[in-house]
Amino acid sequence: MRTINEIMAIAGGAWQLLRMRVVYVLILCVLVLIGSAYRYDVLSLGQHKALMVDVSLMLNTLAAILVAISVTFEISRELREGVASTLLSKPLGRTHYLIGKLVGISIAGIVITGLITIGFCIIFNAAFEDAGIGQTMLLGHLLIMASVIPMSALAVLFSVLVPESISAIVTVIVIWFAHSTPALDKIKILYGGILPDLNLFNLKAEAAYNVAGSISWMYLVLALAWGIIYSVFATSLASLVFGYRDLK
Amino acid sequence: MENIIEIKNLTKYYGSLFWKKKKPSLCDLNLNIPEGAIFGFLGPNGAGKTTTIKILMNLIKQSSGDALILGYPPDNVEAKRSIGFLPDAPAFSPYLSAAEFLNICAKLFGIPSDIRKKRIAEVLENVRMTRHAKSKLGGFSRGMTQRIGIAQAILNNPKLLILDEPLVGLDPHGRQELKDIILDQKSRGTSVFFCSHILSDAEKICDRIGILCESKLLCAGRLDELLSETGSKLHVNPGHDDIAKEMLSAAAETIKRPDGGWELSFPNNAETTQALLAVREKHGNAVTITSSRESLEDFFFRKIEDATKSS
Repeated sequence: MRTINEIMAIAGGAWQLLRMRVVYVLILCVLVLIGSAYRYDVLSLGQHKALMVDVSLMLNTLAAILVAISVTFEISRELREGVASTLLSKPLGRTHYLIGKLVGISIAGIVITGLITIGFCIIFNAAFEDAGIGQTMLLGHLLIMASVIPMSALAVLFSVLVPESISAIVTVIVIWFAHSTPALDKIKILYGGILPDLNLFNLKAEAAYNVAGSISWMYLVLALAWGIIYSVFATSLASLVFGYRDLK
Repeated sequence: MENIIEIKNLTKYYGSLFWKKKKPSLCDLNLNIPEGAIFGFLGPNGAGKTTTIKILMNLIKQSSGDALILGYPPDNVEAKRSIGFLPDAPAFSPYLSAAEFLNICAKLFGIPSDIRKKRIAEVLENVRMTRHAKSKLGGFSRGMTQRIGIAQAILNNPKLLILDEPLVGLDPHGRQELKDIILDQKSRGTSVFFCSHILSDAEKICDRIGILCESKLLCAGRLDELLSETGSKLHVNPGHDDIAKEMLSAAAETIKRPDGGWELSFPNNAETTQALLAVREKHGNAVTITSSRESLEDFFFRKIEDATKSS
């Protein structure tokens, strides 16, 4: 119980992101962009419905990546300025500190991508009254919300593994690789077993063309379970490295 | 008396796993600090004071040697429930308010939720920051940040308070308040281990000191034992120039004060002291005699100079 309290105390600091006004301005911009896809009916030869779904999934994925990257900056800044030293001088293990950051940023990411999902559903329903939100469409957004967890774990890992100046760039490159697993299928050795297969969380084509019934809810549960297991692996690796690191 | 800190042959080389600096930042440090003491850890910049503190707080790992803090090795998380720590140049999350940050610290210390709010209000009052409780830490000045740093260090009523340069960034009033807080903590039974460059303040509040120079401990012990008697001072009241003139030739240093009185310094010598006492008996209240002690600042520079010469 005490361990959970410690982790949640650190997580509480990490989801301060949700108190920043700029986050809500970005969410508003994303929703405006999703809504504007409705006006592309002429340009897209009547494919604007599929385009709106595709744009919403793409922007939601970008938002999830941005949230995950923010933890790289957060941990690096705390290590550089000595905030982490102040916290770690309390009865708090280094592993708990990293888990707290992961939990905090994952919750913030899930809330932000969740707000975008809700906004999309409202806009889509208003734009295409007869269409309705398909199961695959909803699953696509829920999977993006779930993908925040392994992406945040990657960000936590690289924020302690590589120098501060390149940690964010390395994290972005790794996330890009992890999203491109089908394209990199022939060079699996690059990512197999180390990088997560974030393509598991990508249902853009299925969702855009509303291939209803082809993806089950069980798929979401299994993908989420895989994301959590991968996060445990990445955080354990980060903790191992962080345990031997000298702090400012 | 038990030791709250025991350090044995502690050595630290900075550098990566594969490349270490040739010169250690801390070399074979041996130090014991008894319970209940206010220990001042003094030394020039780069002497290894902060390195020692960071090893004790498990923020860095020693290259060799052992350290025990409250009887536990530094990586023992439970021991930290009884330790308060103020780092050198404290920094906090800029998005949090002072009260929110202290609330996180209180949660980490395991302070029950029913008394957490009251305790946070108490420490904010102690450091005179009550009116800034809801202000964001990012907007605080160096002195205000230092005060919040002190508040988080005493939040858990620690058994041991470790302060790294606590007086830096505080105005004279703030320094006095911090000295009062340290003395108040001592009266509650808290042991204090702090490093400082401000020797005059250290002399006022410490009962023990240690001087570190170029990674090595030069001396450690009770302040009153380390600072030797350096002689006597004779104060002659105004209007008694004849008495002062009698003693001028024997005095090592003579100062005529603006009020017309005299201050005569004599080296530490039993015969001189006897002679001065005779003058005191002969001239009564016109003369007062006090023994003078070497100041911590003089002692510090003497030790550093001796160490520099010998190296």
